[in-house]
Amino acid sequence: MLNYIWFALIVIGVLVAVGSDWHDLSTNKFHNGEEMAVTVRLLGDASAPLLAGSRVPVAIEFPPGALAGRVEPLPDSALVLNARLIPTSGTAANIEIALEDRTPALWREMARSGKKEFLAGSIAWERSDAAGFPARLLLDPVKFTRLNAVTNDGFIRYAKTAVELAIGLIGIMALWLGVMKIAEQSGLVTRIAAMVRPLTTRLFPDVPPDHPAMGAMIMNISANMLGLSNAATPLGLKAMEELNKLNRKVGTATDAMCTFLVINTSSVQLIPATVIALRAAAGSSNPTEILGPVIVATTVNTLVGIVTVKLLARLPYFRRQLSAEAP
Amino acid sequence: MGTLVDVMGVISVVAIPGLILLIVVYGLAKKVKIYEAFVEGAKEGFQVGVRIIPFLVAMLVAIGVFRAGGAMDILAAAIAPLTNLIGMPSEVLPMAIMRPLSGSGALGVMSEIFKSHGADSVVGRMVSVMMGSGETTFYVLAVYFGSVSISRTRQAVPAGIVADIVAILMSVWLTHLVWG
Repeated sequence: MLNYIWFALIVIGVLVAVGSDWHDLSTNKFHNGEEMAVTVRLLGDASAPLLAGSRVPVAIEFPPGALAGRVEPLPDSALVLNARLIPTSGTAANIEIALEDRTPALWREMARSGKKEFLAGSIAWERSDAAGFPARLLLDPVKFTRLNAVTNDGFIRYAKTAVELAIGLIGIMALWLGVMKIAEQSGLVTRIAAMVRPLTTRLFPDVPPDHPAMGAMIMNISANMLGLSNAATPLGLKAMEELNKLNRKVGTATDAMCTFLVINTSSVQLIPATVIALRAAAGSSNPTEILGPVIVATTVNTLVGIVTVKLLARLPYFRRQLSAEAP
Repeated sequence: MGTLVDVMGVISVVAIPGLILLIVVYGLAKKVKIYEAFVEGAKEGFQVGVRIIPFLVAMLVAIGVFRAGGAMDILAAAIAPLTNLIGMPSEVLPMAIMRPLSGSGALGVMSEIFKSHGADSVVGRMVSVMMGSGETTFYVLAVYFGSVSISRTRQAVPAGIVADIVAILMSVWLTHLVWG
């Protein structure tokens, strides 16, 4: 099943990106190749000649007429943006328009797509003038914004994020695995397992009642209920490792592993601290009012999850995967 | 509700130092060589971290492509008529799709809705309940199974998705029931 979900996420992600880029191109969303009539005002020493290769600070004034049909919402008065000219000749220059609060959202998107801190383009004029002169501005063409995002934000950034997350886990993993080793050697894990035996033997019938996996699982579930995710994940991974010792088929999940996983993915956290904090920050008059519904919803979904995973485990399809020889 | 939150707040602050103290004291009382035992256990931390990398890369990249390509909006628009029938406003739909895929993505959706509708609106309450009662299913799946190199996940994925759907439906229903 994971194969199909993985396939679907990638294929849908890429196809939608291709589709929306094609749509942007065919409707010319970014108005590639369309010139705008603007007014340039020199900000620095207005009498200095525009030398090729120098950087000249200017303000560009876009009359509403030049923006009509290009950006939403259309400003009432002329839009003025700071920019830098990099003259290429006496009557033409490359231009870097700064991104400011009043920059239209579409233009920000165009700048972001090129991974630049400014909006790039070229500009040409007949005759420069200290008081301000008319010019024709052409923004650099922008194409394939979505596909670029898929490459940069999807593939490359997330591959990096995954490694950073995994590396970030190492320290806290080492801490809890060390602490758990002490608990294991002192017999504490077995004692905890024995305490909750009536519950765990029903949930995990194929795990021996006093197995260390039981103790680790109970500690993981308790930490999850308290919302201690820093401790819950290492304890959960410890439990998986113990469960894997009972696994006779490498690389395939046992029934106990699936049940344990569903308990974890269905969220057993009683107090969603992050949500409450964000509600308070957003000015809620009663940030904790969601607690009742959250506890009911999370209890019901955990119970349904456990029943579902137990029922599915009986299906011949899943039984076969457990017994068949590994390919 | 306020006092319950306070009590749980205290418990969650005390829990970790308390538990570690208990384990260390109990270990010493049982004559375990605690320092040696700790170091021996902690050694595995690195291997576990490295072992989950391929699983996490596979999972997060797929989710990242799905998000970056803008598929969320298209999918939300496509199934909106269906979810409107069960009383889920279309603004909430991105949350329902994002919750099992990406924790940071879901938080982003929730913050957006708080900004545009307010935390005390029906929509704001519904996303709060959804955020609180759900879990980043596919991340947990990748990390937990990845740590023991399991790629054939059997009934865990369908059961996890069923539980996610139940959490979403319960959030919609309870929000209407309590604040409707």
